[in-house]
Amino acid sequence: MKVIHSWLKDYLGESLPDVNKVEELLTFHAFEVDGIEEVAGESVIDVDVLPNRSSDCLSMRGIARELATITDTALARDPLAELVSLSPTDKVSIQIADSAACPRFTASVITGVTIKESPEWLQKRLRAMGQRPINNIVDATNYVMYSLGQPMHAYDADLFPQMNGQWQIGIRFAVVGETVSLLAEGGKTEDRIIELTGTELLIVEGSTDSPVGLAGVKGGRFAELHSGTKNIIIEAAHFDPQVIRKTARRLGILTDASKRFENEPSRELPPYAQRDIIKLITEIAGGECVGLVDEYLVKQKENITNVSRINVNRLLGLNLSLAEVKKIILRTGAEVIEEDSDSITVRSPWERSDLVIEEDYIEEVGRIYGLHNIVSVMPEAQSLAEINVKQYYTERIRRVLLEQGFSEVMTSSFQKKGTIQLQNALASDKSYVRESLRKNITAVLDANFIHTDLLGIPDIRVFEIGTVFIKTETSVSEYIAISLGVRTKGNGYSPKDDVIIKNGCTAVEKILGAEVVWQTEKGVAEGNLDVVLKTLPVPDAYDALPALSQVSYKAFSLYPAIARDIALWVDDGVVAEVVAETLVAAAGPLLVRHTLFDTFTKDARTSYAFRLIFQSTERTLTDIEINPIMETVYQAVTAKGWEGR
Amino acid sequence: MQTPQGHQHPLTSMISEINAIFAEIGFVFAEGPEAETEHYNFNMLNVPKDHPSRDMQDTFWFKDKDVSEPMVLRTQTSPVQVRYMEKHEPPIKIIIPGKVFRNESTDATHEAQFYQLEGLCIDKGIHLGHLKGTLEYFFSKFFSGKTEVRFRPSFFPFVEPGVEIDMKLLESDSKLAGKWIEVMGAGMVHPNVLKGCNIDPAIYSGFAFGIGIDRLGVMKYGIEDVRDSYTGDLRFVNQF
Repeated sequence: MKVIHSWLKDYLGESLPDVNKVEELLTFHAFEVDGIEEVAGESVIDVDVLPNRSSDCLSMRGIARELATITDTALARDPLAELVSLSPTDKVSIQIADSAACPRFTASVITGVTIKESPEWLQKRLRAMGQRPINNIVDATNYVMYSLGQPMHAYDADLFPQMNGQWQIGIRFAVVGETVSLLAEGGKTEDRIIELTGTELLIVEGSTDSPVGLAGVKGGRFAELHSGTKNIIIEAAHFDPQVIRKTARRLGILTDASKRFENEPSRELPPYAQRDIIKLITEIAGGECVGLVDEYLVKQKENITNVSRINVNRLLGLNLSLAEVKKIILRTGAEVIEEDSDSITVRSPWERSDLVIEEDYIEEVGRIYGLHNIVSVMPEAQSLAEINVKQYYTERIRRVLLEQGFSEVMTSSFQKKGTIQLQNALASDKSYVRESLRKNITAVLDANFIHTDLLGIPDIRVFEIGTVFIKTETSVSEYIAISLGVRTKGNGYSPKDDVIIKNGCTAVEKILGAEVVWQTEKGVAEGNLDVVLKTLPVPDAYDALPALSQVSYKAFSLYPAIARDIALWVDDGVVAEVVAETLVAAAGPLLVRHTLFDTFTKDARTSYAFRLIFQSTERTLTDIEINPIMETVYQAVTAKGWEGR
Repeated sequence: MQTPQGHQHPLTSMISEINAIFAEIGFVFAEGPEAETEHYNFNMLNVPKDHPSRDMQDTFWFKDKDVSEPMVLRTQTSPVQVRYMEKHEPPIKIIIPGKVFRNESTDATHEAQFYQLEGLCIDKGIHLGHLKGTLEYFFSKFFSGKTEVRFRPSFFPFVEPGVEIDMKLLESDSKLAGKWIEVMGAGMVHPNVLKGCNIDPAIYSGFAFGIGIDRLGVMKYGIEDVRDSYTGDLRFVNQF
């Protein structure tokens, strides 16, 4: 919710803190602030209103009220504290077909308005909200919505047919197959015709029962305001939040109105919004209010809650007195209707639908009093009631496989093909869940073999322990699988791979003390670990963790590496490290790895063979770049009196 | 060339380390299925259908034809809290490290699959001070340096009060040291969740927290792209 600092002043008056203080107060007592920016000459605070407060705080008044609570001041002006008295009219008839879906519907009639541009101050505020001003009436509906959180809609009364001298407005569910035409959306020129499924709530023109808009979501072209509009009908209603949400989600139409309605602003709100919009319109568009029709079929429930001092302190870890608790709760605008020695009975402010259970008030006390007052209680050492079998044994498996040169990988749970498909995949190559690890491990072997030199390893050995899914007759089930993969040759599987795999599998079985049923094929073995774990003894304690090495990760280069071998004779006694130092110094910064891969001694001389790996983080290296580097390396070797082979 | 020792994936080594840290204070390692029912993933956690709180987690659903009741790839490891509470009496102290899934577009800081660590502690007299102390203990060990924690108000349907957790590493050479970093959500377990598991909220209270393990890896090791964890690329794994 974008919040305009100067707008808050309408409610808070001189007690409004500066923008940075507002940010700080909201951050530590209410909501996260995503940022502050200057738009159209206004300071706009982007407040991330929490879901439980979206019923009252998607409004300037709501945020102002929140600041008043936090700073323990009263609002200089509170539109929701001033009672509404509007004269009734019989010019509009409202027929609500389903009082659960539409518990309240109000309509007011204003005659003699003049459509024109809004005054500059109003346009400025709407622009700061990121809205394009349209005309004074439409702007007024948006303005009051931002002020109080009540979405509104205006119709041209002269384009709205009458029956028996009354305008007829109906609210009913759609009929399957019925259509409604909605106003063109941003960037589009054509109206959108929606085919309805029967779950949508409609506003209908009563004399013909024809749909004029999707209740709470979006209006249509029907009785649209135009430059010559003189008389208007203004709607402010309350709809079932779930009905609105379902429709808005299904059709992908998220409007300022639907966002508010699905968070259920108070049922008490519509007359307050009517009062404010009538006042605003008569000021900026002239005209006169004929009256208000208010169909209030299902009243809002009062929330009365008992709050005990003991429970407040029990959850927060504080030691507040009842008087302190009471004082904080009163700051929210709640009313204490009863009090005994250890608890108070509280009626929530009518606009706060989130204050229902005692814990809701405990949260209020915590955040208003200040969460920084909560003191840490350090945990004490305690013995474990249970050892996790899977964690215990997989730690052991990892240890023996690492010893055999296998590195651990984790691969995607999604795959391109399979039998268990997701309803709503991220991408077409991720629409199924994996039913085995084999494919992924094979892909890992394929992808990694070219990196053996870069990694300084003779072959690729990997394993994964992870969940795979299976389709049962009635459901989707899963188990923990283990898979080992080996690749010793660049051109694919070789029988030599199986020998290494076999050793790995044997090591796993040995450390488990149990057999695993392996499916081994083309350098990849896979087994069901779950079935084995179920047969193993439950251990008493975890093994001690091996000492953790300090790791400082570096993003790796995505460019290919180039390998060059160099072999040279040195006099006996010259150790490999000394030779390596010379090579590294001569090769320069593109050398990323050097591996000694062969050593032998003959006639008081030693031969060392090194593999030098070059890689850039910026480009693909070529011979043209590497050849001169190797020249430099050979020169350095010669200068040392060593002999290249 | 000799075969050198293999490398452990940072996620599993962090899970082992997390487990060892929490084991010292009596937290049991709990687990549950990755293919989870809507009932456990949402309903039992006070996240009703067609409620805006569902928006907080975009969900992968299995196809109706494959399942007899609605099932999802779990969006959080919290359903394990419920499953565990249903089967155990308080006191309960568990951690739940495990893979979770969110139907979100991915970038360097978001993967559609990632690992989450949740913790749950239920007993008589558990309050926010215990949560704060437990997290300070954990972070101080995990980041090898004294760490402070602070709370900010937040909302998660399965806790009340709900808090956002910031941490600050004090005496340390780490790049992270000296500044507040937003790390996770937490709170006191919602009474509806406790009641749903036959635990009387008038007698027992508890805290719960949840943090991305991948994100811990970003902080601990300086991993730049969380997606690298799931590619099987040894240029990534072999640095650990």
